[in-house]
This record gives sequence, structure tokens and C-alpha cells, in this order.
Amino acid sequence: MTEIHVSMNPVDEAPATAVTARRTALKKLMRDKGAVVSFVILTIIVTLALAAPLIAPHDPYDNNLRNMLKPPAWADAALPEHLLGTDGLGRDIVSRLLYGTRTTLMMGVMAVLAGGIIGSFMGLMAAYYKWLEGPVMRIVDILLSFPSILFGLAIAAVLGAGIFSITIALTVSAIPTIARITRGAAVVQMQMEYITASRAVGMSDARIIWLHLLPNSASTIFVYLTLQLGQTILLGAALSFIGLGAQPPTAELGTMASEGRNFLFFAPHVSTIPSLVIFLIVLCFNVLGDALRDVLDPRLRQ
Amino acid sequence: MLRHAIKRLLVSIPVLLGVLFIGFMLMQIVPTDPATVLAGPTASAADIEAIRESMGLNEPVIVQFGIYLGRVLQGDLGRSLISNSSVVDELANTIGPTIELMCASLIWAIPLGILFGTLAAVRRGKASDRIIMAASVAGVSMPIFWFGLMLIQYVGFKWQILPFQGRAGPLWTIEGLRHIILPAITLGGVFVGPVARMTRTSLLEVLSSDFVRTARAKGVSERVIVLKHALRNSLIPVVTLIGLQIGFLLGGAVVTETMFAWPGVGRLAVGAIVSADYALSQGAILVLALSFIIVNIIVDLLYAVLDPRLRVS
Repeated sequence: MTEIHVSMNPVDEAPATAVTARRTALKKLMRDKGAVVSFVILTIIVTLALAAPLIAPHDPYDNNLRNMLKPPAWADAALPEHLLGTDGLGRDIVSRLLYGTRTTLMMGVMAVLAGGIIGSFMGLMAAYYKWLEGPVMRIVDILLSFPSILFGLAIAAVLGAGIFSITIALTVSAIPTIARITRGAAVVQMQMEYITASRAVGMSDARIIWLHLLPNSASTIFVYLTLQLGQTILLGAALSFIGLGAQPPTAELGTMASEGRNFLFFAPHVSTIPSLVIFLIVLCFNVLGDALRDVLDPRLRQ
Repeated sequence: MLRHAIKRLLVSIPVLLGVLFIGFMLMQIVPTDPATVLAGPTASAADIEAIRESMGLNEPVIVQFGIYLGRVLQGDLGRSLISNSSVVDELANTIGPTIELMCASLIWAIPLGILFGTLAAVRRGKASDRIIMAASVAGVSMPIFWFGLMLIQYVGFKWQILPFQGRAGPLWTIEGLRHIILPAITLGGVFVGPVARMTRTSLLEVLSSDFVRTARAKGVSERVIVLKHALRNSLIPVVTLIGLQIGFLLGGAVVTETMFAWPGVGRLAVGAIVSADYALSQGAILVLALSFIIVNIIVDLLYAVLDPRLRVS
């Protein structure tokens, strides 16, 4: 039997089904073990990073040359007060890791948020106003055809190396993907009757975009923001690693991994530990993003 | 096909102009006045002014941009602010090793990715499929510098199997070959996962298509179906992916070159940016962007070879 929906109020209908769809999606997501584990790990990491000033056992910038390059607690020569050992300047690695994760996450989240806002705005405009589609999508094509590492290099060359330059580069590289995905999702919504109905009852363009188009495209945008976050954090860390991002002595995971290169042969933990934290964060975002995509937007599954 | 290629070329023009404009901007923010430098310490203010006039430095910015474009087209990218050598010479010396490294990485990573992807697709849902797919997600999430550092630490330093510093000459010498192995493993390593994933998806789709069912119905063996019928048809999206990922490869190359002291354009660019050598960094960024555009066009033309349908339309 095919169900036939007869609704006298088409304006209410679409959001209501979207809410139920989201609820069943959440249930499906809870059954995905990888996604749940990733979510838990990410929550713990974010909480630790946010609480860094409260829980860090030492000042992350406090040099102590007498205690430099101490190994982690499981090695023989470890100092009990430095759980993961110390780096080349005798700074406590646990504390630097907490602050470093904070910096790395901040860079990634800021860039993806800014890129997400600009990108989804561009995508919504291109979907709603037909005449804007051509120009906006050409800009997106051009941005998309430009490798993000080159944004990083060019912006760092003009503005100088630093967190600010890198965050801008990461933002610019996040915009085109989000814009394209948003437009794709919004164009589907544009064909729905409730949009026509909203127009018929005299809703303004801005209200339709804000109250209908955006909420109904939101799950797709959200999935891609999650996936983008992993890639953005990875790229940001790589740019910091080659010396274009956060500058020493700032605690940032990529920079920490880079500083540890000098001691790789006798104190490998200095660069291995921050690298592994980056790996873990990006892996969790990717697993979570994949799972979200599967349940929220099965059409997009490749 | 031709239309497609032309369209691609047209899209790359604004990209190229954008890159050239960034290059031009970099030359503008050089803190020293080029006319003063050229005139030398004993020149009078009038001499400097005359040189400024002759160099076109008094023209409006847009005209100066035109002059810059003309110079770039003639292959003049200025001189490095630090070593005073010609930027074009520096780039000519470094582009070779970069291409070498990229080819050495792709030459093993793409076949391996296709192999893993095919295995996963054929054993869909079985343990080997799940292991390959989990490994590919892990591979995509792995910081390339961590992988490289591991190789340097163990293979290079602890076990002393392979060298990990610099380039020792052309690839046909044994030393040259030994030096490229670790950088090529590092750079190719991040590429295997995406290729495997795409091959699997694409192959699964083709395996459920009608012509495969027909082949099965007439009793063609599974091996022949996969290798002769399906794989070939599933490679088109894989080539697309490789084209899309060239930018990603470029990023990896910059990190890998920096890490292994490989004398390529990426390392040159990073060094120039860190030491604020504007002339050199504009040249390096220009060359990286240009090579990216060229590779993309080559990938586009490759479609025609793989997919005869595109040749007609």
C-alpha cells in the first residue's frame, strides 16, 4: 500500500517529517559502535582541551633545562611529575598537549565554522536565486580547483607565517566544498511543494531561506562540516609542522611534532605523542562523519 | 571531449591570473625600494627618480601588473633576495626532483590501491573487506609527517636500512634509487587509502550492472569478469579521483620534501616563505600552481583514453 499524504497545511509538513527522520537517524547512529566510540573520545578530548588551564599539571611554557627530554612514565628514567616526559626545553608534555590540542582544535573549528557560514550562504543563494547560480558556482569551481596547500603557502607568504594566516587559508579551502554540497541539498528542497506554498502565502525570500531552506538542508551541511573538520585539522597541523602555522613557543600539536624532530633518535616521544593525538582526533572526526553521512544522507554514500 | 578540455582550460585561466596576482602582490610588499637598490649608494634623488620612471614604478598598479605579466611571460621572475641567484634557475633545479618524487609515489600507490580496492569489492562484507576499509579510513586520517617520522626513526635510523636525507643523484644510480624510497613510501602511503576506497565503490557498482549479469549467465568465470569486464569500466571514477587528489598530493609533497630534505619546489617554497624571500616564494608558488593546472589537464585527457564514449561527444 502506498501512503497518500493529504495535508491542508503544506508549510508545516516538511519540517515535521524532517524531525522524525532525524530522530530515527539518531537511533541508527547509536547502533554504530565506531561512531559512538568516536563521539565519546572526541567529547573527552574536547573537554580536556577546554579545561586545560584548570587541569594542566604544569605551565606549558615553563622551561626547565635540567629536566629536558625526560621519557614518559613507562620508561626507566622517567620523573613521576612528568607523566609523558618533557620536551627539548624541559617543558611538561602533558600540559603542552592539553594546550596544544586546544590551539589545534580552535584553528580547525574556527576555520570550518567561518568556511561553513560563508560556504552555506553562497550555496543557499545559488540555489534560491537562479541568476546567482552561474556566477557563484564559477567562483566555487575556481576555488575548488586550487589545492588547499597553495592557499596555505600563498597566504603565509603574503601575511607571514602564523596561526592567523593558516586559519584564513583553512577557511578559504573549506568554503567551496561546503558551498557545493549546500547548493546540492537546497536545490532538492527548492523543488518541494512547500517552498511553492510558502511563496504563495506571501513569505519573504529571506524567511523562506532562513526558516525552510536552511533547516531542511542542515543535516547535509552538518555531515560535511564534520568530515571537513577532520581534513581541516590535518591540513592545519601539516602547515604548522612545516613551520608556516603556529610559531614556537606556542603549544600546537603540529608545531610540537615539528620541534620534536630534532630529538627523534633519542627522544622519539616528543614528536610521536602529539602526532598520535592529531591522528586520533582526525580519525574520530572521519569515522563519525562517515557514520553521520550514512544515516542522515544515504544518497551521498559513495 | 574537445569542448570539455577547452572548458577546463578556460576555468584554469582565472586561477592562473589569481596566482599571478598573488605573485605580483608579493613583489609589491618587498620592504626595500628596487629603484634605490639598483641606483646604488652614491645615486642622487634625481637618479633614483629616473630609474623609478624607467622601471615603470610610477605607473598605476594595474599597469605595473601588466608589466609584471609581461616579464613573467618572458620567463623573468626576478632574483632571490637572499642568494641573489635567478629565481628561474632555482626553480629549474628543483622542479625535476619534485616530479621525480611524485611519480615515484604514484607508481606504487595507485596499483596497490586498485589491488586492495578490488580485493575488498570481490570479498564484500567479509573480514578482509572490513580490514581493508578500516585501514583506508585510518590512512586518510593519518598525519603524513607522523608516517614519515616513523619511517625515518625505524627504517632510516634504528635499522639503518635506507638513507633519509636528501637526494643522491639520478634514479638510475643505486644510491639515487635508495634515497628516493623512503620519501616515496611516505608520500604514496597517504594515497593508497583513497584509491582503494574509490576502486571498491566503483567496482561494486559495475559488478551489479546488466552486462556483468549477462557475462555471469553465459558462464564466464568470476576471475575474467572482474579482471576483464568490470575493473576496466570501474577505473574511470578512479582516474577522476586521482585528478581531484593531485592537490592533496602536492600538499603531501611539500611536507615530505621538507621532512626528507628533498631538494624540490615544495621545500624551496617553504624555505622562501619562512625567510621572507618574496621573489623566490612568488616564483615557487607560481610553478606549483602551474604544474597543478597542467597535471589536471593531462588527467582530463586521460579520460578519453579510458572512456571511448567521451571521444565522440
